[in-house]
Amino acid sequence: MNNISDSAILAALGRQMATAVARQSAAASNLANLDTPGYRSREVFAQVLDGELGDAAQLARTSAGHLSSSVASAGGATIQESDSLPTRRDGNNVQLDKELLSMTRAAGDFSAAQTALAAKFRLVRYAINEGR
Amino acid sequence: MPTLFGAISAAASGLDAQRTRIEVAVSNLANAESTRGPNGEPYRRRDVVLQSVSAERFEAELGRAGAVGVQVSEVVQDTEPFRRRFEPSHPDADAEGYVATPNVDVPEEMVQVLGAARAYQANITAIGLIRDTVQRALELGK
Repeated sequence: MNNISDSAILAALGRQMATAVARQSAAASNLANLDTPGYRSREVFAQVLDGELGDAAQLARTSAGHLSSSVASAGGATIQESDSLPTRRDGNNVQLDKELLSMTRAAGDFSAAQTALAAKFRLVRYAINEGR
Repeated sequence: MPTLFGAISAAASGLDAQRTRIEVAVSNLANAESTRGPNGEPYRRRDVVLQSVSAERFEAELGRAGAVGVQVSEVVQDTEPFRRRFEPSHPDADAEGYVATPNVDVPEEMVQVLGAARAYQANITAIGLIRDTVQRALELGK
């Protein structure tokens, strides 16, 4: 029996989408400032809040042989300036390929969460319509 | 909270800034041999100064992190001295037969144009990806 509440799943998927949006926004900012002297590239760090969902996050184990697992959710995403990247002579440390990669990856993440969310909504709608 | 529309504005500001950069570089190229400007001096090379600026004013007012765009804060003139070329037959030649020519370096301007074109392309790609994301978000309402 599944003990994870619908609202917890919806909230986790919502957070995944919000993090993807934050990533795209940061990458768009970095790309816009590709040639701005002194600009430091921004990075989004998603905070993984293990156990935020409490016991509900534990997947049900119907056999002793099953591994225990928990649903990790990305909590509030923080935006930080990155200092680990090599800096150009004008003080800018934006890397074009890295930003485009991060943007594409975020688009994929968003797409995945959207697909899952749409499936969840479909189930809810099915239940509301009494299976019709 | 960063939004997709803020991200699109940031990318659009990048397009705007890079277009200005191309325009300025092309003006420099066009005037690489202009020995007479409106003030009687040869043409002086121009350069854009880029500055990052918040693309989401509302978020910035609240002190929250939002998308950061870019803007051309000013177009400055290059203070490097004019080049001198020996050409006594030129109408603008001085008493020694030297003509002062603009301080424009053609290869350098070409590099500026190429760099700006690449950055423009990157911002267009970014807008395309963000648009796809918006599209996916709208599909939830179907």
